[in-house]
Amino acid sequence: MQQGRKKGESKANQGMEIPKTLTIPKLFLKQAEKFGKNTIAMREKGFGIWRPITWHDYLENVKHLALGLISIGLKNQDKICMIGTNRPEGLWAEMATMCARGIGVWLFQECLIDEVKYIVDNSDTRFIFCESQEEVDKALSIFDECPKLEKIIWDDPKGMRDYEQDYLISFKDLQQLGRELDQKQPNLFEEIILKGHGDETALLFYTSGTTALPKGALLSHYNMLTMGKNLMTVDPCLETDDYVSYLPFAWIGEQMMSISCGLQIGFTLNFPESSETSQADIRQIGPHVMFAPPRMYEQMTRTVQVKYLDSTWIKRKCYELAAKIGYHVADLKFEKKPIPFHWRLLHVLAYIGVQKKLKDNLGLSRVRNAYTGGAAMGPDHFRFFHALGVNLKQIYGQTEVAGISVIHRSGDIKFDTVGTPIPETEVKITKEGEIITKSPSVFQGYYKNPEATEKTLIDGWLYSGDRGFIDDDGHLVVFDRSKDVMTLKDGRPFAPQYLETRLKFSPYVKDSWVIGNNLDYLTAVICIDYSVVGNWADEKKLTYTSYPELSQKTEVYDLVEKQIRQANKDLPEPAKIRKFINLYKELDADDDELTRTRKLRRAFVLNRYQQIVDALYSEEDMVHIDTTISYEDGRKAHIKADLHIRKI
Amino acid sequence: MSTTFLPCGDYHQTYAQEHAWWQTKFIKGKMICLFLCLFVFIPLVANDYWISICNMVGYTILGALGVQLLIGYCGQLTLGQGAFIAVGAYVSTLLVLEFPWPQFMLDWGIAYPVSVLVAGIAAGIWSVFFGLPSARVKGFYLILTTMAAQFITVDFLLTQYVSQIGGRGQAFSLPAGTIKLGPWVIDSDLKVYYLMIMLVIVFCVVISNLMRSRVGRAWVAIRDNDISAEVMGINVVKYKLLAFFVAGFIAGITGAFWISNLAAISPEHFPWFLSLSLVGVILIGGVSSIHGTIFGAIFMVVVMELLQLAVMPLADTYPKLLMDFLFIKEAAFGLAICLFLMFEPNGLAYRWWQIKNYFNLWPFSY
Repeated sequence: MQQGRKKGESKANQGMEIPKTLTIPKLFLKQAEKFGKNTIAMREKGFGIWRPITWHDYLENVKHLALGLISIGLKNQDKICMIGTNRPEGLWAEMATMCARGIGVWLFQECLIDEVKYIVDNSDTRFIFCESQEEVDKALSIFDECPKLEKIIWDDPKGMRDYEQDYLISFKDLQQLGRELDQKQPNLFEEIILKGHGDETALLFYTSGTTALPKGALLSHYNMLTMGKNLMTVDPCLETDDYVSYLPFAWIGEQMMSISCGLQIGFTLNFPESSETSQADIRQIGPHVMFAPPRMYEQMTRTVQVKYLDSTWIKRKCYELAAKIGYHVADLKFEKKPIPFHWRLLHVLAYIGVQKKLKDNLGLSRVRNAYTGGAAMGPDHFRFFHALGVNLKQIYGQTEVAGISVIHRSGDIKFDTVGTPIPETEVKITKEGEIITKSPSVFQGYYKNPEATEKTLIDGWLYSGDRGFIDDDGHLVVFDRSKDVMTLKDGRPFAPQYLETRLKFSPYVKDSWVIGNNLDYLTAVICIDYSVVGNWADEKKLTYTSYPELSQKTEVYDLVEKQIRQANKDLPEPAKIRKFINLYKELDADDDELTRTRKLRRAFVLNRYQQIVDALYSEEDMVHIDTTISYEDGRKAHIKADLHIRKI
Repeated sequence: MSTTFLPCGDYHQTYAQEHAWWQTKFIKGKMICLFLCLFVFIPLVANDYWISICNMVGYTILGALGVQLLIGYCGQLTLGQGAFIAVGAYVSTLLVLEFPWPQFMLDWGIAYPVSVLVAGIAAGIWSVFFGLPSARVKGFYLILTTMAAQFITVDFLLTQYVSQIGGRGQAFSLPAGTIKLGPWVIDSDLKVYYLMIMLVIVFCVVISNLMRSRVGRAWVAIRDNDISAEVMGINVVKYKLLAFFVAGFIAGITGAFWISNLAAISPEHFPWFLSLSLVGVILIGGVSSIHGTIFGAIFMVVVMELLQLAVMPLADTYPKLLMDFLFIKEAAFGLAICLFLMFEPNGLAYRWWQIKNYFNLWPFSY
């Protein structure tokens, strides 16, 4: 059953104006005073329980940290890097940086050393917050190459006993320095915050960059706050809501929810025990609002499909029946047709019988609004969640607008569009078909990169580089990145993303890459899902020792062929995949094949796997690969493999 | 306590919440229904015959709880629980009948409640006495020393000496109206039923609480590995004897409760087979589980009763069945234990857990 949009306690927020002078720290101070010791600002799971942290504790910690930063010499608009998992300490560091009028820069935790070095150096970072020994080691190894870096602040003491460098300082010691400064100058913290202005830069975000080196986007307090306000106007959140913060803080979507929205409403942020337990922890909390890239939802769908396959006969039949009812009702809703009474009744039964428990199982039973954005999501996944009764919405946005600009409205959802613009936001299509946006949240420019800024920001309009159009209902349809759009044999434009996401609906396919721009026919490179296909192979009593071996089994090829035939169904002839190959490895961000947010870097993979592409468009049915791959810890391995090519 | 299945959105901020009883609304509702059923529904619908069956179930639960504590939680094998029940029953009876109570105490109905408590303590001390060997011996040898308790207490002391008190011969008769709890005269099956339900609830609560306390954890540690438990700083002998005391105490109360249901008591009420069948109850129900004790008791009493109902009509054709029914019952008991050990070694409690899991994981299998 779909939960309706809840209004009510959100009045305070809707009436809230964002004056130009308001900054995130000022708002933080106001909220901390309002909520005080009685309201829980965040929880962190540790040793099995969700330890609560009140707004008062939050304020105290941030205050001492901010003053600590000032006492080690932080100046106005200095950059501070943060690297680590989602923990309260990470958020405190970010908030303290902004309170001390510095600029926060988040790094993805799994960034390789080169990326860390590039960003630290490019952003002129003076201090870096590292969560644990692992991050400290990364920072230490680049310390000599980044002359502007002065101090490394670490939090988790595990393994840190023998580090004696004098530029290392612990989180606790820094807070102690702050406490001492606070005693000397009791009102310093508030004074510094009051000096701030909304147009000052708050955060520096490095865009993942599907093509070139990351660019740093400067976002002001005003950008961030208007973003949160406009999103909340569409889908109000409540003070009592729970939100789980587990996606990297370096991703703008997480910042938009945790800072822009979280601070304005004051909902409770929940931090999982560790990234490995995050799925189970999300299930425990049962968030009311969710924002995640499609891969998270794809993973959920895959889990359901695999568990369904492993279930017993009765349970499978019940699931199938409920799914049928759910799909039918969801389709009627998409078409905005009235739902006949008997279908409503069946839907209630399906809800009680299966969907309620299924949503509980996935941790979605309290979700009011679930958002997906950051990459394309296939219509199959989208229908799946709506059939389950989850109010999943597409959003469209980018780092440069501090989050999002276009969103689905409840009850007006079309799975091939991304919805309509949020308030105070204008979206237009240029003559070339490029999507451009104007809103108070549009960023200030790229850091130290005026040429890129000039190209992107023209007359206050943000040029996104995405191709799209606006349909008859005023919904924006995002086709693809302009440079990714393909031309089929018959001259029609075609978005490879569309086929790729369709392929990914199969639980056996983890990643796919569709090729065929200006070529005779389309082909695909498939990365199978090791654990799912592995289980399948175990059941079929197929022997294998590794991913490369499993991927080249004839039976696995048969399996993938079936999935591709399924995806090919009801597509026009030239848009059907004619040949495919199973790759010997999964695509990985560490090999630069994907961005950190798992978008395919087409130009790079095309270059890297040229040999495979050539083979796909020749008469051969086998291609020999001889290459090296790099592991996360920097080790390299040599790989030789023969890959089969299968025609369909 | 097994971990509770929590629905999404139900989480704990403190350890106290994590150890709380009745954590979800569903469990609360379920328990309220159970209490309504026990206190209202069963007394309303059941006739005297079924109430007496319920009383038998309750008696078996109370008797088996002590065995569960010793075997299931503390790992001390025992085959002498019947002896301690007998001690409780006899102490209580003797106190009520023979003790020179001042008249007002008899009038106010204080004699029986006091005797119940004394019976519990006496049986507890008696149990500790026979538990002393557990300081040195384990496993089979402990079975033998506890069996000794049965034969020394019931077959020797009670039969030969205690029964002769007052020159009544074998049995002590308990005239109607002797058993009074304050103004409440327990003289019908239904009243025994209410007393039984309250005792069962109290002892289930006591044992569950003990098991989530330091004492309970010490017992479990001794059960799992007594050497490691000792290394961890647990005084093994002390905790073993404490387990014997608590088990004996429960047995004593059970015995003292049971006399309210009897018109007369004699040593034949406490044969060695009683001790054995109580161990059978926890094997069938599930070792280390309070649920299991209850399921086992229900199974033992109700199934045997149904067996009787099934066999009796045949007695017209085969009169010998009537004569031999006791043997059939014992054979069925033996068969049940064999079958359970083979096909359901974790007892009914495990099956219960699996059924719950089946629905908790719906519509998946894991």
